[in-house]
Amino acid sequence: MRELTYKDALHEALDQIMAEDDRVFLLGEDIGVYGGAFGVTGDLQEKYGKDRVVDTPISEAAITGACVGAALTGMHPVGEIMFSDFVTLSMEQLVLQASRIRFMFGGKATVPMVLRLPGGSGTGASGQHSGSYESWFIHVPGLKVVMPSTPYDAKGLLLAAIEDPNPVMFFEHKLLYRTKGPVPEEMYTIPIGKSQVVREGKDLTIIATSVMVMRSLEAAQKLAEEGIEVEIIDPRTLNPLDMEPIIASIIKTGKALVVHEAVKTGGFGAEVAGRIVESEAFAYLDAPIRRLAGLDMPIPYNRNLEYHAVPQVENIVEESRKIVQGVY
Amino acid sequence: MAKEVIMPKFGFTQEESEIIEWLKKEGETVEKGDPIATVSTDKLSMEVEAPERGILAGIRYKEGDVVLVTKIIATILQPGEVLPKKNAEPETQKIEKDEPSKPEKGIEVSATPVALHMLKDAGIDATTVQGSGAGGKITKADVKAYLSQKSTDRHGGKVAATPAARRAADEIDIDLTSIAGSGPLGRIQEKDVKAAASHIVQAIPPTIPAEAPRIPLKGMRRIIAEKMTCSAHEIPHLTLQMDIDMSDAVALREQVARQVTGKDIKFTYTALITQAAARALTRHPKLNSSLDGDEIVLLPCVHIGVAVAVEEGLMVPVVRDADKKGVYQLSNEIATLAVKARTNKLIPQDLEGATFTISNLGMYGIDRFTAIINPPQTGILAVGNIVEKFMPDAKRNPILKPIMTITLSADHRVVDGAEAAEFLQDIKTGLENAGATTV
Amino acid sequence: MEKEKLLEGELTPKDAKHLLYLMVLTRAFEENAEEMYALGKVHGTMHLSIGQEAIAAGASSAITRDDYLLNTHRGHGHFLAWGGDLNRMMAEFLGKENGYCRGRGGSMHIADIESNNLGANGIVGGNLPIAVGVGLSIKIRKTNQVVLTLFGDGAANEGAFHESLNMASIWNLPIIYLCENNLYAMSTPFDQAFKIEEISQRAVAYGIKGVTVDGNDVFAVHQAVREAAERARYGNGPTLIEAITYRWRGHSKSDRQAYRTREEVKEWMEKDPIPRFAKKIGVSDKEMEEIQERVKIDIQKAVEFAENSPEPDVSTILEGVYA
Repeated sequence: MRELTYKDALHEALDQIMAEDDRVFLLGEDIGVYGGAFGVTGDLQEKYGKDRVVDTPISEAAITGACVGAALTGMHPVGEIMFSDFVTLSMEQLVLQASRIRFMFGGKATVPMVLRLPGGSGTGASGQHSGSYESWFIHVPGLKVVMPSTPYDAKGLLLAAIEDPNPVMFFEHKLLYRTKGPVPEEMYTIPIGKSQVVREGKDLTIIATSVMVMRSLEAAQKLAEEGIEVEIIDPRTLNPLDMEPIIASIIKTGKALVVHEAVKTGGFGAEVAGRIVESEAFAYLDAPIRRLAGLDMPIPYNRNLEYHAVPQVENIVEESRKIVQGVY
Repeated sequence: MAKEVIMPKFGFTQEESEIIEWLKKEGETVEKGDPIATVSTDKLSMEVEAPERGILAGIRYKEGDVVLVTKIIATILQPGEVLPKKNAEPETQKIEKDEPSKPEKGIEVSATPVALHMLKDAGIDATTVQGSGAGGKITKADVKAYLSQKSTDRHGGKVAATPAARRAADEIDIDLTSIAGSGPLGRIQEKDVKAAASHIVQAIPPTIPAEAPRIPLKGMRRIIAEKMTCSAHEIPHLTLQMDIDMSDAVALREQVARQVTGKDIKFTYTALITQAAARALTRHPKLNSSLDGDEIVLLPCVHIGVAVAVEEGLMVPVVRDADKKGVYQLSNEIATLAVKARTNKLIPQDLEGATFTISNLGMYGIDRFTAIINPPQTGILAVGNIVEKFMPDAKRNPILKPIMTITLSADHRVVDGAEAAEFLQDIKTGLENAGATTV
Repeated sequence: MEKEKLLEGELTPKDAKHLLYLMVLTRAFEENAEEMYALGKVHGTMHLSIGQEAIAAGASSAITRDDYLLNTHRGHGHFLAWGGDLNRMMAEFLGKENGYCRGRGGSMHIADIESNNLGANGIVGGNLPIAVGVGLSIKIRKTNQVVLTLFGDGAANEGAFHESLNMASIWNLPIIYLCENNLYAMSTPFDQAFKIEEISQRAVAYGIKGVTVDGNDVFAVHQAVREAAERARYGNGPTLIEAITYRWRGHSKSDRQAYRTREEVKEWMEKDPIPRFAKKIGVSDKEMEEIQERVKIDIQKAVEFAENSPEPDVSTILEGVYA
């Protein structure tokens, strides 16, 4: 199959859906001539005009609210928050408006909007431009939270998110933009709310998101050399979370490790661990569930400090090894 | 090859040990792991174990000598070996201490090296652990029990176990308090429960009278214990059972008995079964194989190990090329080997190279049983007694027939049920048509 | 309820009489609401617009029902003026299944998406960014609609106010920003929260038209909204209208009103927009009595309807969280 970068896969998804569906339009800061801070929207303004690829002032609350209002009146807006960190400025519109308008109005309104959120560390962007905020939004009923880790998933999930009648938070990782992978040319969707087993193994179940899926796969190779076979599951959608493959896997392996970049305390890992313990898999656990996550701190600037603030391949290898060897 | 016995270093800061007692004498045969000497370190009395099976020779230090750690203290020789000259005399050693090191009085604790290690790792004061070994010696099991008890005590009598271990214990119906945990802080893991379950028949009842006689697990008993544990843990056992109509075999044996009365010619069922099994093995080579890493090695010859019960356990002398031998020859060979086994006259070659094992407990009145595979073999056939049973005849009317139940245990990693069943069927066909057997 | 065919052109006497009815109805609805609250029949709080009825009457009659409404938490009058059904509104007020929002939203979140009433909003200024999206949607779809966006003086000090007005102005979005300045943001008096004399002065900052009108004068509000709608429909962008009025009651039911004097309230009550409008359009006392009688019956029926309506089934509790 043809290979595309994660970034180009997203661009292609937007291009294809805009050509097909007049209701879809884009808005965000510097997404027009500039092509988006990370180049995702690229030439789309040239192609679809300024009315459908709308460059906005630096007004995250209004960008988000504009998505809500447009969605309420029949459009399918795709907003871009330049750095996911800036979603902090959109919180009211997301948490008190987008997520619950439908419910408050007795299920009689729909808010089919997508907010694209480039996030994550590893670029030296320091404390206000490197965060991972996905777990904040899994705590908001009414929002869906999607976090693709491959170009294939990026395209399929973005198209699914745009089709979805609910507000969808679409977390992209800056380090993934340049990663390549097979992407079909035609339009396709990947169902929201379906976890995927990306590697099979018998000794340990790793549940990893976004860039941590790549790092876990790399760690898995090293562990395999030691005779440790890990199974890796990428939930892809954090909310609604598909636990079924995770539970099945843990029943097989008896051990679980959740890996994410966002800080550990109150993170997605806690949610996954909680659900595992509540599930049938509980009786099959033969070790404590472990979480490997970002340190409870802002992302530092210094390259080495930044590297150590979030899980890396060697941390995953070591933690996996310890779990399998029964250290915990 | 001669193997040197060195003064072990038991502790991090330990430099020397005093030899308290030689537990074996020169010329005595020792098994690997047998304690051969008691030595003392600062606080503990420890045992030096034989690093190899063989004959103890070349003891260099007498009791009371203080020896630097890592120095050679004796040598283990294999039969026929002589003591290398350099191993004959004590090494010169300087102990640059004013006083010879003596064990401190009052706090002497005795423990096995493994136990000591475990105590160190867990940071436990050895004096707080109750030893169950000879003379109150602390064993590995004691430390495990202590750790598990400790974690139990910490939480008001609750047992630390993983959910998987609890589920397994529930399924097998085994009490978690009777299991020592191998996990952190003595937590019981699923594998601990499974191990305990595999020993459940030998499980020691919770209250043991102090005066109960104790037989040390050593020598052959110990080897059997280790081998069987290893096999039971590592090999997924596939077991299949089959009833065999022995009418033909019984008739044949009676016929032979009539023909050869007075002559020194034997005809045993074991031999008949051995022959049937050996010939079936040539047609089912996977049962006559050995698992070597990722490969199944199909063995070129069929050598049948025939289990013989002896006083300290079980010996399995080997009948070579059993598939090529007649029943008389097999009967005689097996009888000879059994006598050698019981009179302790087997030579190592008699015990080597079996590719398959037959264990017949029929003569003990056992109707059927399941045996544990003797690795690296792939199968073992457990043979029961011949019992008269009413069986249906061709018209489904009851007819009394001599029936023998054989049970095959096979390594499931190597063979599947259908293959193993075909093998058993093959043996059955052989035995049920024993009239056609080459005598 | 008459829902269709409201005014497109100048107000006719017939139209005006209908507006008067709506104003009386709104007041009666809210007075009844207070009563029900006192009797413990209402679960939550409510924000009453008694004294501010002229704005809803004037504004709702200046645009069509093809346009959009973004309402505020103090929005009973606007909801009724937009054509909301009194019975279903009362049912929502009592949290009933056949209320506008199936009892899920209550007084603060009444919406009727089908009639382009995009709902009341409980967050001060929360609807201002949404207005941008509605305006953008109209612009992209080229439907010549406008969106009437209501907010109070308090909302004008939210950051969202700036983001919204700026975006609307740079893109010439068809938004009518109608600020109901009732002089208090909860307890905070206007002059403690604003350095400027009039909120409409802020329009200058966005390069748009700003106007301040007497919010207790139906005609003044009507006229200002009409002009704003015209500007918006012809691609000339948003307008900021400030309508000065006064809330007679507290901010919500828990308000002791320690921040203002009884005299001040009394003074404003004398400027009651209802008799003022009645007098202006020449409605006699007798006619007024008739209207009030009709309203009384309407309210009575609505209360009956609402009280006899079913409670939401708990088994449906999660419905509407996700589409």
